[in-house]
Amino acid sequence: MHTKRILGAVGLAATAVTVLAGCSGAGGGSDSDELVIWMPTQEDTQGTAINALIDEFEKQNDGVTIKLEQRSVDEHKTALRQVAGTDAGPDIYWYWEGSGLGGELVDAGMSLDLTDYYDEYGWEDRFTAASMSGITQYGGFNGVPWSQQGEGIYYNKKLFDQAGITTPPTTYDELAEAAQKLKDAGITPIEFGGTVNWDVMRLLDSLIETECGADVADELNMGDGDWGAEECVTAAFSELKKWGDEYFNEGYLGINNDDAAQLFFSGEAAMSLEGTWYNAQVVDNGMNPDDIGIVVFPTGTGRLYGFGEAFYINAASGKADLAAQFLDFGTSTEGQEIVGSAWAALSVNKDVAVDDSNPLNGIWADLFGQADGGYTNNDQNFSTAETTEYWRIQNSVLTGAIDPADAGAEFQRFRDSQ
Amino acid sequence: MATVALVTEGRAKRRTPKHHRLTLALPYLIPAVVLYGWFLLYPMLDAVRLSFFEWSGFRIQEPVWVGFDNYVRLFTQDAVFWTAFGNSVVWVILSLILPTGIALILALGLNRKMVGRNLMRAVFYIPAVFASITVAAMWRWIYNPTLGFVNQFLEAVGLGAWTQSWLGDPQFALGSIFIANIWQAVGFSMVLFLAGLQTVPVELIEAAKLDGANAWQRFRAVTVPALRPTTIVVIILTIINSLKVFDLVVGMTGGGPAQSTQVLALWSYTQSFTNHQFGMGGAVATVLLIVTLALVIPYMAWSMKGEDR
Repeated sequence: MHTKRILGAVGLAATAVTVLAGCSGAGGGSDSDELVIWMPTQEDTQGTAINALIDEFEKQNDGVTIKLEQRSVDEHKTALRQVAGTDAGPDIYWYWEGSGLGGELVDAGMSLDLTDYYDEYGWEDRFTAASMSGITQYGGFNGVPWSQQGEGIYYNKKLFDQAGITTPPTTYDELAEAAQKLKDAGITPIEFGGTVNWDVMRLLDSLIETECGADVADELNMGDGDWGAEECVTAAFSELKKWGDEYFNEGYLGINNDDAAQLFFSGEAAMSLEGTWYNAQVVDNGMNPDDIGIVVFPTGTGRLYGFGEAFYINAASGKADLAAQFLDFGTSTEGQEIVGSAWAALSVNKDVAVDDSNPLNGIWADLFGQADGGYTNNDQNFSTAETTEYWRIQNSVLTGAIDPADAGAEFQRFRDSQ
Repeated sequence: MATVALVTEGRAKRRTPKHHRLTLALPYLIPAVVLYGWFLLYPMLDAVRLSFFEWSGFRIQEPVWVGFDNYVRLFTQDAVFWTAFGNSVVWVILSLILPTGIALILALGLNRKMVGRNLMRAVFYIPAVFASITVAAMWRWIYNPTLGFVNQFLEAVGLGAWTQSWLGDPQFALGSIFIANIWQAVGFSMVLFLAGLQTVPVELIEAAKLDGANAWQRFRAVTVPALRPTTIVVIILTIINSLKVFDLVVGMTGGGPAQSTQVLALWSYTQSFTNHQFGMGGAVATVLLIVTLALVIPYMAWSMKGEDR
């Protein structure tokens, strides 16, 4: 009797250990016709779109199944690090293209060079030049473009009129002048949500581009530029402080971007520094798109602020051909029409017509066409640890804890210690 | 020698039942021990181990042994660590004073017979059953600088000059989160104190009354000693919960503005899973573990000594 009990309990324990061991594996379906895709958790419209795309691909390819796994942003980044170079990862992963994120996984050997597939499917002719720049930046072809986001200033035309601003700003001085006029008219010039850090960061990135120019900014953001030695860095932080003190919405450091955006949607704030995804949001929140204008941040360099997102094939995947087939479908005209503008206003496929149901989409098409290259959000350029410090310094300048003149040197000290 | 053998044999015979019981119990304990070891003990020890390595989280990259470098960096170069440390210490001290004190007062009040007593007990306890992240979302709205209750109330009563960016100003942010913590934490301690108050011998209270002791004297000389076991539990749980505070801070400020509301548990998480500096994250976690043990073990030892007396 006792022996039976003991054996039963040991069996139970063994089962538990087996279950635990099973939990430690991830991704990479063993079925030869199953593809595993990892993405960060998508918003509702994006989730619906990707699932529709997967359903259609499965319908057209009998026997193929696609398993989509979604995680929070931090979890997604961590999980990819854990599986890089092993066979435990997905066949396809979605990631941001910037050097601090997608570039890090390219360096780690996780991204398969897709040169052969670009030749086979003729992808070089399919995608826009702007979207391809993020794919070829590390040499070879890493990833397939999924979305190309531009960021600029959305402004409320009625509030501009009310403040006596007759033409949208085309220089930084005109932008600062417009902000002052709005403030004088009792209107919040621009809204930000400070708790998410990256929202205010867009202004700081743009001010660095404005004050330092394209070459120095690139050296600072992506090269070995010395943040403590450049006068323009102090100028950028000083301007940031001025905007925070004078022109931001009240209490911006205590609210997130969604709460702050309500001020723009409700007509309390005149400007919002947002990206192409905002076209749908302003309409969803009851604004008439004809009342809204968009201008690039007038840095004077002619470059457009923005970033790209791509699907990468895992170098350790044994199903690269099937993965490439799925990505070919997903970025084809048919696939892009299924996903619509769930991720961005403009498709990365240059043959896909701009969706003119929202007039703001056409404005972005023009802005992309006029841009002379681009500059990327610094939370994509920097390592994750540098980004955390960049945000701390940014917010410390805004709260007055760090003098703008000391900000660059403090950031450089951190970079040197890494 | 024969005596020794007999004694040994006798002891062995006396031990057999216990040993037998352990053998019987062991298989039933194994699953729990395996789970405990796998999910709690191993990660804890691994965090300590990692604190002596530099590792960016890539599985293909071997962690590099750096000895105490992470601790040196933490104590001398990390601009956030001492803020997080200070905030955690302040959080523990305030938690031991405010929510605990308020909980005791509420428990004493609600221990008396009165109309609506049970309803009030339930009302004060309800926040304790909410998930911290829900509490954070509620209070984030309450503190919203334009639409939130606090500033709107201040405006309505003519105190518009007192309105603040409660979560956006480093001067107020930590205190504002702590108020939400009081709202949530009081109920649990109150219930513990209420349970403890049921154990206070009524005869002793009556005897003290007959001896002419006033309310304060009865509280100090009878109630407080009788509440000693409950107080020990409340204090230990408060210290532990205070040191591991995480969700409220994440949900209300994310550690900002400018890391001014950062606490040790969140900074450990941020270093590991946001910054991908697992060595530094492990070092912060180890400091947190040491601080927790340094506070809890002496207090437990001291209070158990008192029990023995």
